[in-house]
Amino acid sequence: MIETIYIEKKIKNHPRTKFILKKFKKARVLEIDKYAEIFNKRNQNFRIQKANPDLILAHKNDGFVLPAPEGFGIGSSENFYFSHMYNCIYDCRYCFLQGMFSSANYVIFVNFEDFDTSIKNVINKNINSKITFFSGYDCDSLALENVTGFAKHILPLFQQYPEVDIEFRTKSIQREPFMSIEPMKNVIMAYSLMPDLMSSSLDNKVPSISKRIQVISDLALRGWKIGLRFDPLIHGEDWKSLYENLLEKVYNSIPLESIHSVSVGPLRFPKKMFKDILKLYPDEPLFTSPLASSKGVVSYDEKIEEEMSSFCKNLTLKYLDNSQIFRCYA
Amino acid sequence: MIKNNFLKKTSVRWVVALKEEAEVILDNYKMVLVNEKTLYPIYKNVEETHWLTLSGIGRHNSAASTSYLYTISKASKWTSWINVGIAGSGKGDYGNIYLVDKIFNQNANTTYPATMPKSNLSKMTLLTTDIPITDYSSKELIDMEGSAFFDIASKLTTKEFICIMKIVSDGPSNDIKQLNKLKIIQLVKSNLSKISEVISYYEKLSENENQIRAKPYIFYKISSNWHFSVTQRTQLENLLRRLRVFCGNDDIMELIKQCENSSFVINALNNKIKGNKVNWSDV
Repeated sequence: MIETIYIEKKIKNHPRTKFILKKFKKARVLEIDKYAEIFNKRNQNFRIQKANPDLILAHKNDGFVLPAPEGFGIGSSENFYFSHMYNCIYDCRYCFLQGMFSSANYVIFVNFEDFDTSIKNVINKNINSKITFFSGYDCDSLALENVTGFAKHILPLFQQYPEVDIEFRTKSIQREPFMSIEPMKNVIMAYSLMPDLMSSSLDNKVPSISKRIQVISDLALRGWKIGLRFDPLIHGEDWKSLYENLLEKVYNSIPLESIHSVSVGPLRFPKKMFKDILKLYPDEPLFTSPLASSKGVVSYDEKIEEEMSSFCKNLTLKYLDNSQIFRCYA
Repeated sequence: MIKNNFLKKTSVRWVVALKEEAEVILDNYKMVLVNEKTLYPIYKNVEETHWLTLSGIGRHNSAASTSYLYTISKASKWTSWINVGIAGSGKGDYGNIYLVDKIFNQNANTTYPATMPKSNLSKMTLLTTDIPITDYSSKELIDMEGSAFFDIASKLTTKEFICIMKIVSDGPSNDIKQLNKLKIIQLVKSNLSKISEVISYYEKLSENENQIRAKPYIFYKISSNWHFSVTQRTQLENLLRRLRVFCGNDDIMELIKQCENSSFVINALNNKIKGNKVNWSDV
């Protein structure tokens, strides 16, 4: 439950601000000048805040659409991302957000129309390229959809550009607005998955894997294209049989023709980020894994990464074409 | 002895302006004067888990006494800092206690203290002034110390460990001239159970954080047996934090007992991590 909502004075009368406020009638509302007064200031404890995060409603001034990090794509030559929100309602122990922001409060930018303008500009500038946009790099793209309505807002824009792909990456079991509208061929509903045993330890506050698979199946049957993101790959006892069970279950639960792409990605942290996250959660079993630092990145060693990626790829090849499988290194 | 060690992990520091405001608190937490010759009067309990300073009135006094208490009491980064006292109010009810979640003063930026989650206490904004104000109109809470206390305490810890509570003592219907020592004591006394409830949250918060952040016990043992450079000490601490999750202290000592120097120790511990496969069914 959100106890306090901070609102930038500039957007206190914005219709979307009023819409969101109606969802939190009991929350205390405080006006602020800029969201930076509250968010990501030094001297905040991410772990303690994460237990009871507050909500910040803000106006984003720039940086609406950014080039996606190298190694993040799924086949397009140009990849971009945008985030209408910072931070996530989930609390996944491998998530880079816990090392990226010092605050665990949620920031929602209400000026969606400025995202629209920037997306159109990027499309027009890259008119001859195959483009994919990724929604929700700094958040889960759908987890708070019932509060923000961002997907519902942005989908009509992409209806105008059927040659441009958009991926909504999520761990949520949010069905709307997708079950209520006609499926779009340029929309990829991408789900992060890992074996249930690992997920129940690492994916805190996240819907279970079986619930996620059920939603994937429902959306696939409705006609939406599905992306499967085995990212990050987590090592441990019996990892092979755990991943084998997961992949077999997924591929036998979803119509294969609905699968747009599969990506596998290793567990990786920038060295400084790993240090910060380890300080926050020193007793986390994930960090007792054979992770080592090399060239500023903390990861499993190359042999483990390669073995896990190849294993998942080879299993996937039993069901899908090689051209649908990608390695994510971002 | 064990109990004493356990209690010491709790760490609370109080900054209170007036003796009358502090009396009930000093009594409740069994704090006594440390030494009569300190710059600001300082009190502590036997376990040294609670310390309190009397700052006197005004922002300068509050800032200085907070810093002073920090130094004298050797507060850690995970000490909880509490400011409690009376305040004027144009909106609050006389005698009620409020948590402060926004602070203005005429000279500086607005600040936003975090407040204890899921509290039954209402929250209000605080105006800290340098001169007494009797025009209470539209002001939620008015005091003369809060902003300075928060500014300094924010440099000593993260904002989640700072709490400001104010009891409404005067307002449009309660003339400040009617306020006396007895009334102030009574105001604090009548809110003691609410104050204690808040404090028990901050006690636990500091205790938990101290437990999480404390160097593993075995770190001291190992670093006294071998000579480690500053970089190696950091490496050692991080490795031990990770190892202690799945490896007992005796096993760790057994692993390194033959090591000739600190580099061998680091290598041996690194190799232990490299060989670990997390058993997710045990987690």
